[in-house]
Amino acid sequence: MSARPAVDKRTRKGAGTMQSAVHWALLGLVIERPSYGYELAHRFEQAYDGMLQLSGFSYVYTALDTLQCRGMIEEISGTRTGRQPKPRYRATAEGVRSYQERLITQMREDFRRSRLFARQLAVFAQEPEMALDVIERYGQACLEEAGDTPVLAPGGACADPVSGLAARLVSEERRLAMGARLPWIDYARREFKALAAGRIQPR
Amino acid sequence: MSVLELEHVSKCYGRLSEQVALRDVSLRVEAGEMVVVWGMRRSGRSTLLRIAAGIEQPDSGVVRFDGHDLGKRHGETLGDGIGYCRKRFTPSEGQLVIDQMITGLIARGVPPSQAGSRARAALERAEIGSCAQLRPAELDSAEAVRAAIARALAFAPRLLLIDEPTIGVDLLARDGVLMLLHSLAQQGMAILASTGESTSLSGARALTLSEGELHGQPTRELAPVVPLRRTG
Repeated sequence: MSARPAVDKRTRKGAGTMQSAVHWALLGLVIERPSYGYELAHRFEQAYDGMLQLSGFSYVYTALDTLQCRGMIEEISGTRTGRQPKPRYRATAEGVRSYQERLITQMREDFRRSRLFARQLAVFAQEPEMALDVIERYGQACLEEAGDTPVLAPGGACADPVSGLAARLVSEERRLAMGARLPWIDYARREFKALAAGRIQPR
Repeated sequence: MSVLELEHVSKCYGRLSEQVALRDVSLRVEAGEMVVVWGMRRSGRSTLLRIAAGIEQPDSGVVRFDGHDLGKRHGETLGDGIGYCRKRFTPSEGQLVIDQMITGLIARGVPPSQAGSRARAALERAEIGSCAQLRPAELDSAEAVRAAIARALAFAPRLLLIDEPTIGVDLLARDGVLMLLHSLAQQGMAILASTGESTSLSGARALTLSEGELHGQPTRELAPVVPLRRTG
């Protein structure tokens, strides 16, 4: 068995597309506001509660290392001072551009996933009851998601305007997404019910 | 005991009962709970509210309010525990909002000496006390919905039924209307709303109606509890 060639860890981190959602989310937080590692971990927990999870606070340092190697963030000079240095990081222009690209790619992936779900459901054309069971459970999940979305009244007091805006944007996205999904579920249910009743034949 | 309970309720329209509005619908709404039923047009959502209000009778099944069969009360419950809001505060020419409220109260047997204070209190509770001296046509969309809610609140209902609470309401004013409904529920009122907009489902026990069939959790068990939050 031949020995693997030695790969420089830093070079390997810089290769290919960055896949980790946590890395991208951390980059987003650095774009929002320069921070040091420990502070970022706290901000991450607040900003992405229920959406993404850190495996541990120390993971932030690994992620920062990766982002720095990829040229997406840089250390702000003069912040590594004192007995317990807390180097602060800010996003580079390349980091901001990559982040924008990532947002668009992510949304395209969501479109693809929706199409895939619809196509995969159609395999039950000969067994519509199976499809209706999936639709029922999907519908229930959507209703729980819709009901779980908090009502955020505008004009309330909030110390951090960015957090307030983020919460409202997330809430509105969840609600409007449901506005598309519920009619689709209604439509799919009718299609498969008609199949189950023998009113139409699968083509 | 649930404030509102529908048990295997069905309703059909048409000469041959060919249009099914509700099919074997069972649902409970508890005090302090807000339930919102989403449905496409002609899904049966407005019929559900009218039957829950006792305005219309089901073909089969039972509707109970506070444990009493609504079918045996011949519609007298409206105004006595049940508030029913239609889509809008429909204006009468020449009257101010407060006058409309007072007229409605007097027409329903409230002594004139009490009608004014009750109307003003209801408008304050719906957070549109400042609109009392406006003409209904001068209200914006959110104020018109609040006025419709105030008109129902004037009768101190334990159950509030509201059809399309946010239809036509400006996007940025919509959450204020929803907050009002949620705060009424938090004060102990049972609320059943129908909607064609998914945004109204926020924070509520959400159900859907499709071809007269109800989908989702028909009782409070397993429904998520979502606290109200204000953000700036």
